[in-house]
Amino acid sequence: MELNSYQQEAFNYQRPNIEKFGKSNLLWIIFFLLWIVVGGYALYLQIAHGHVVTGMRDNVVWGLFIVNFIFFIGLSYAGAIISGLLHLFKVPWGKPIIRLSQMMTITSVIVGPIFILLCVGRFDRLHHLFIYPRLQSPMTWDVLAILTYFVGSALFLYMALIKDFAVYRDAKMNVPKWKQKLYTALALGYRGAASQKRHLIISQNLLAIIIIPLSIMVSSILSWIFGMTLRPGWHSTIFGPYFVLGALYSGCGVLIVAMWAYRKMYKLEHYFTDKIFLNLGYFMMVLAAAYGYFTFSEYFTSWFGSAKWDADVINKLFSLQEYGWWTLFANLFGILVPIAIVAIPATRKVNWITLASFAMVVALWVKRYLIIVPTLETPALPMQDTRMEYVKYSATLPEWALTFAGIASFLLLFTLISKLVTVVPVSELEEPLHQHNHNHEPVVVNKEAIQTV
Amino acid sequence: MKAIKTRGASTLNIRSIIIYAGLMMLLFIPVDMFAQADSTQKEAPAAEAAVAEEESSLIGPSLDFITVQKANNTIDLKASMQAKVKGSFYKLSLLKVSFVLVTETGDIPLGFVITDKYGKAVLNVKADSLKTDAEGKLNFKAVFAGNKAMDPAEGELSIKRARLELTPVKEDSLLTVQLKLVDLGTGTETPIPETALGIFVARLINPMKVGEGTTDADGAASVEIPNNLPGDAKGNITLIARLDENDVYGNLEASVIQPWGLKVSDTLKELPRALWSPHPPLWMVITFTILMVAVWGHYIVIVVQLFRLRKEEPHTAIATKN
Repeated sequence: MELNSYQQEAFNYQRPNIEKFGKSNLLWIIFFLLWIVVGGYALYLQIAHGHVVTGMRDNVVWGLFIVNFIFFIGLSYAGAIISGLLHLFKVPWGKPIIRLSQMMTITSVIVGPIFILLCVGRFDRLHHLFIYPRLQSPMTWDVLAILTYFVGSALFLYMALIKDFAVYRDAKMNVPKWKQKLYTALALGYRGAASQKRHLIISQNLLAIIIIPLSIMVSSILSWIFGMTLRPGWHSTIFGPYFVLGALYSGCGVLIVAMWAYRKMYKLEHYFTDKIFLNLGYFMMVLAAAYGYFTFSEYFTSWFGSAKWDADVINKLFSLQEYGWWTLFANLFGILVPIAIVAIPATRKVNWITLASFAMVVALWVKRYLIIVPTLETPALPMQDTRMEYVKYSATLPEWALTFAGIASFLLLFTLISKLVTVVPVSELEEPLHQHNHNHEPVVVNKEAIQTV
Repeated sequence: MKAIKTRGASTLNIRSIIIYAGLMMLLFIPVDMFAQADSTQKEAPAAEAAVAEEESSLIGPSLDFITVQKANNTIDLKASMQAKVKGSFYKLSLLKVSFVLVTETGDIPLGFVITDKYGKAVLNVKADSLKTDAEGKLNFKAVFAGNKAMDPAEGELSIKRARLELTPVKEDSLLTVQLKLVDLGTGTETPIPETALGIFVARLINPMKVGEGTTDADGAASVEIPNNLPGDAKGNITLIARLDENDVYGNLEASVIQPWGLKVSDTLKELPRALWSPHPPLWMVITFTILMVAVWGHYIVIVVQLFRLRKEEPHTAIATKN
């Protein structure tokens, strides 16, 4: 597998990251595993005692688990859309971040649906979703859509990796035998022959074209689980695009934070450049404005219409005795702060943009909570024997433990993938100064060609 | 020899551990994982299983026996059989219950019935043909003779003949039923006063109580019937008068069908579109199929391309590798 000098340099620079498994990596993994163990204990409690250990009751049947599900699945869609767009439009500055966004796609599509499994009470009936599907149910749409999407995103990530696997295979790296065999198997015999290149490009382009509308559709279907009901706060025509935009927006934030973290950890300043942060910052600002517009439309139409149940939900959201502070936080840090930070030249810096992204991601998680819980706390029909503890939801320790276990799983998967492949893709990389200029002389990867960094 | 013995023992230990681990894993299977079928369908096999298990010590079944005197001068003899096995009650089906009239001169067999899946056996007999004792009472016995798995069981009852009559009366919009309760034990009809009677209307599972009355000195009572009860397609409802568990007369029942209900069509109307409708709309099936075929079709094309990738690995490169 041939690389040009810039690509070779990028590979050599990142090579130690996948060859060595340092103490800090081990500590991180143990830390994540500990959280997962705590989550496992919470799950044991939930299975042993039932869902009574959660805050979910007759009225509020969805809580943190569904919030997390939507959050992670949203990240996944965002990763697919961003990487699909960067690939299709061949955005030169975007090449180093394609891998990260694809990693985000696959890890979050694995972690997200686990929260659905935590939420359902009858594991023994799970297979009924497949053997008794009702095509007219949004739940069935969602299950099939996520499965389809999972396969698509896994294929998309894999195809983008094939060339790099060939590089790792040929580089004779100092890795365990199983890892070397794995690279050889996953490279699918890719040697850069013209016919192989053609097949790979056709596949990648096909999938990039498919994955973008697929992400949009799947994200919309997720929103329709809410939008198709007649519940106040959910039954809204803008929910489809609103969810797509929200997913893209939060995914953009997570991508910036992940870039910042890997830039610090692996010293990738040369690849995750300030320019990329700035470009993603502008993208985030545009998304923030669009997201703000959607949020305003959603609240304003509900408030102005003043339908009884809609008004109840709006009052809950804006009353400081109920969810007012949460709403303020979600909109301040979810919309205004990111716009302000990118708009003001003095704060248009890598650390500020990352900080704004992190705050925005948290705010958008809160926004998901505000979409789900206040509506469920406002039942459209009066219920018999309704008790206050059934109407009002508050998350319990097992739910929080499982939430953090989910985040730990997400980070653990990210860490493990980044120990298997280079975080910056090697074979597709273009030198920033010579983008669109393919005059680099190709060099064959061998020991002599490897430079010490 | 020693070595062989040790090896054999270790193999056995590993096997035992695997079997033990397998058995332990079975404990984690939720007990109700397969409990999806109608539980009523399981009673007979469960009872049979219970019977098989208890072969060594015989099961002691219980036999509940009641009578219901009907307005048409017949009597239902009803026996119900069940047994408690390992703390659970099982309805005993497919058992022969014989009904006997006990007289001063000896027992007169009336017939036998095999218990149904609910453990019930009902025999309807004509009351006028039955011989009463000196006090004007009828003495019945229901007998289960036992079998190789179960002990015998029997129930006895003694009732005095009586009749409950029900006459529907409609005056303008007022709907009432006139009830008359008479003692037949002495051969003549004697009114039974001060007795509470219940009025029911037949519903899908059990009769629903709609009123009650107490007989006067003439053994008569009148009970008003609501005029908004849902009936069948013609508006018919079945009114039932009952005297329940009387010490002297047992159970008495009379019923009549009247067009006093609201007409409720029994033909299925076309259902509105709903999540629970049997089939999704056609357009949805078509759209869904097109989308799935389009996406998965692309996946297949892509996977085929990936296979071709491996096939087209240049030979020179393979040679270099080797």
